Amino acid sequence: MQPLKLDEESSSIQHKPQNCAISSGDNSVWADVSPLLSAACTDLHEGELINGDNFNLFAAMSALEIMDPKMDSGMVSTFYSIDEAVENGFAPVPVSADSTVDVQSTLDIMDHLLVCEATWHMGHSLAQTVFSCIYVLRPEMTSSQALLHSYCRVIRATCRAVVSVVSDARTNEEEDLFTMTYGLPFNEDEDAKGLLLLNAVEETICRQLRACKATSSKKRLMEDLEPLQTNPQLEESFCKALLCRIRFRKHFLHALNCMRRPQGRGLELARKHIAYCISELDSVLESAEFLRSDVVENGNTEIEESTTASGRSPIGFDPTLNKRLSAPTPPRAIKLLSWKKAIDYYVKLLHNLDQICVFPLEPDLDAVLQFVIRFQKSRPDLVARAHLQLLLVQDGKLYGCDTFLTICARALALDVTKHHGLHNNEYILQLNQLMINLLKILCANTPWQRRKLGKILNDWSVFNVQMGISVAHMMQQDTSRTSKNGDKSLLILNHIYGWLEEQINWVALRFLMLGFDLDLYSLSEYCMVYWYMYIILWKLAEKARFRVLIIVNTEERKAKRNKEYSRDMVREDRISLWVLFLQCQTCLAQGLTVMIAALRNEGMCLKSEGPFNTENEKFVQHFELLQKASLPEYDAYESFSESTSHARLDYLPVYEYFHDAQKIAKDIKVGYANDPDKLAEVRGLEQVAERNIVAVNLFCQDRSLKVSFEFTHHPYFATAVVRRS
Amino acid sequence: MQREAPPLLHRLLKSQIQILYIARVRKLLFRQMLVGIKDGRFFLGNFHCLDKQGNIILQDTLEYRSIRRSSPSPTEQCYLGMILIPSSCMTSCHVDCSIEEQLSLI
Repeated sequence: MQPLKLDEESSSIQHKPQNCAISSGDNSVWADVSPLLSAACTDLHEGELINGDNFNLFAAMSALEIMDPKMDSGMVSTFYSIDEAVENGFAPVPVSADSTVDVQSTLDIMDHLLVCEATWHMGHSLAQTVFSCIYVLRPEMTSSQALLHSYCRVIRATCRAVVSVVSDARTNEEEDLFTMTYGLPFNEDEDAKGLLLLNAVEETICRQLRACKATSSKKRLMEDLEPLQTNPQLEESFCKALLCRIRFRKHFLHALNCMRRPQGRGLELARKHIAYCISELDSVLESAEFLRSDVVENGNTEIEESTTASGRSPIGFDPTLNKRLSAPTPPRAIKLLSWKKAIDYYVKLLHNLDQICVFPLEPDLDAVLQFVIRFQKSRPDLVARAHLQLLLVQDGKLYGCDTFLTICARALALDVTKHHGLHNNEYILQLNQLMINLLKILCANTPWQRRKLGKILNDWSVFNVQMGISVAHMMQQDTSRTSKNGDKSLLILNHIYGWLEEQINWVALRFLMLGFDLDLYSLSEYCMVYWYMYIILWKLAEKARFRVLIIVNTEERKAKRNKEYSRDMVREDRISLWVLFLQCQTCLAQGLTVMIAALRNEGMCLKSEGPFNTENEKFVQHFELLQKASLPEYDAYESFSESTSHARLDYLPVYEYFHDAQKIAKDIKVGYANDPDKLAEVRGLEQVAERNIVAVNLFCQDRSLKVSFEFTHHPYFATAVVRRS
Repeated sequence: MQREAPPLLHRLLKSQIQILYIARVRKLLFRQMLVGIKDGRFFLGNFHCLDKQGNIILQDTLEYRSIRRSSPSPTEQCYLGMILIPSSCMTSCHVDCSIEEQLSLI
C-alpha cells in the first residue's frame, strides 16, 4: 500500500491557523486534514455522507450556509468593521469641507434617518435601519459638529423612548425584532443632553434666519453671525429646511415623553407637541422643492423612491456593517420606505397619537371599549397602539386611577367605596386580571387580537361558572342570617356575576366581527356566521337590557333614600341607546341569516358544503372556540340547521327583520346626533336594511337573478346586490 | 521486469484504501475542527458531516473574524450554532489532535 504523499506545503506546522487566539487544546496541535478529507471525498459515492449516528438531515437543513448573503451575517462586504469604515473616510466629519455641500449632506442624513426610523417602526431591526448610520452609532465622532451631533443624540433618545413604550406594552409579538437592540449603544445620560444641544442649535439657526431676512442696515449689526453656507441667496431656504427638521425631531420626542406621564397627565401638552410636529412636517415637505432644485432628475420614479428630499444618497450609512447585530435572524436586505411614504407614516402616527390625547379618560368601561374599537378602525400601527395600552392599563388600574372593581361596579351603578374587603376577594382579583388582559388584547393588531379573544373566551366562561357556583353558595348561606350591618358585598358580587355574561358575549361578538375584517369568511359561510352573530347579539342585548333595569332600579332606590341624590341620566340614556343599537344589529343579523338561507335553499346562492368539508365541519372550524365557552349552551349546529333549513324567500319575517332594523336605526339616530362616528355607523345599518328589503322584493319576483354580497354600507353587515343573469 | 498486480487484487487493495480514508475521516467526527475560508474568517466547531463534494457541517460553531483588513489585527468571535461550509470557499481545514495522532492523519 502506498502511503499518502506528504505535501509539505499543507503540513500542519507551516500552515497552522494564522490567528494565534484560536488555540488548540492542552498538549494538542492543529493537524491539517485537507488531504485526508479530499481523499475520502473521492472515495465516497454520490449521495453518500460521512456522519455520526445522531445526524438528522432535517435538522441539518437549518444550518446557516457560510458565504450565502441571506444567511451569513459575518460576510465581509465593504469594510471589516465600523472602525475600518471610519478610518477609510466612510463617515467624514465634517461631512464636507464645502459648507454648502455640508449643509446639503446634513439635510440628506436627517431625511434618511427619518426614513430609517419609520422603517424600523414598521417591523425591521434597529441595526439595519437607524443604526446603519455611523454618525448615530458613534456620536462621539461628531462632537465638533453641533447640528449633526445633537440631531443624532435626539434620534437615539427617541428610539430609546419608543423601545421603552413598546417593551412595556408587550404587544409586539408579531413584530419580531422590533425592540431587540442586541447591544446597540443607548447612552441615556449623554442622549438626554441632546435636546439641550438641539435647542441651542435651533436658536443659532433662528438668528441666522432673522439675519437673512433683515434689512441691510440691521445686517451690519448681525455680521458677526456665521452663515451656514457660502451662497447668501440660498441661506434663508437652507435655514428653513434645517429648522423644520430640527423642530419636528424635538417636538416628537417631547410628545412621546409627555404621553408616558402617568395617569394621562401629559396628554394635553402632548397634543400641542403633536400639532407642532404635524405643522413642521408640512414645512419639511415644502422644503423638498428647494432641495431638489439643483439635482438632475433621472426620471420621476427615482425621486419618488428616494429616501431623501433632495433625491441624493446620504453619506455615512451602511446596513451591512451592523449585520451581525441583526442576529439571530438572517441578514436579509430590507427595503427602506421612500421619504414621502415615511412622512405619510409619521402623519398617520401623529393623528393616531392625537386621537389618544383627545380621549376624555372617562372612568366608564363602556366608553373605554367603544373608544378602543373606534381607535382600531383606522388600523393604527404598533407605536400608537402601545401608547394607548399603557394609558389604559397602569399599575393594574384603569388609567392608573381606578381598580377594575370600581369600574365594573360603576357600569352597574353600584358604589364599592365602602366595601374595601371586596378588592381582595379572590374573584375580584381574577376579574381584575381578566379585564387587564382584555384591554391589552384589544390594543393588539387585528389578527393577534382575534386569536387571543377566541382563547380568552374559555377563561371568561370558566371564571363565570366558578363565580356563579361560589356566589350561589354564599347567597344560600347568607339567607340564614339577617344582614343588618348594611354589608352589600354579596349583592355587589351577585350583580357582577350577572354582568359577566354580558362581557363574555361582547368578547364573542368582537371575535366574530373581526372575522370580516380579516376576510376569514367565504360567501358560502355567511349564513352560519350571521346566525351565530344573531345568537350572540340577542344574548348581549338581553344582558345589556337587564343591566339597564338594574341601574334604573338602583338609581331609583338611591333617589328615594336621598332626596338630593342626582341620577346619572347620561349613563342610563347611553346604555339604553346601546341596547337599541344592539337590537338593530340583532334584527339585521337575523334578516341576513334567513335571507341567505332562503337563497341557498332555493339554489340562488352557494351552499355551505364544499368538496372538502361538510357544512358541519366548517361550522366547527369557525366556531369551535365559542362552543368550548358554551356559547350557546345547546348544540349550535343542530339549532342552526333546524332554523335555516326551511327558509324560503316568500317567508314574511324576512321583511320584518329588515323593517324592524330600519325602524330602530331611524329612532336611535337622534340619540347619536353628537357622536358623528356612531351616527355614521347607524346610517350604514339603516342603508343595509333598506337595500336588503329591496333585494328581497326583487328575488321574490324573479328567481333567476344573480345575487352577490358587498360591504359598501357597513363593514360587518352585507348588502345583497342583485344583477340580471 | 516488475509484475503488475492482477486487476482483482488491485481493485481489492484500492477498496481497502478507500475504506481506510473514509474510516479515518469517520474517526474525526465530533472532534473540534477549524476551517478557514477565503475571506479570512475561521470557524471552530464540532465536525458533524462531510459529503462527496467536500461540504462540511460543523456544530456549536464559533466564528472568528478580524476587525481590520490588515493583519495582524484583533479578532472578534460570534456563536453561530450549526453551519454548512461549502467546499468552494474553504482554504484550510485542521483538526485538534495530539502530536502522536497528527502523524497518522497525514
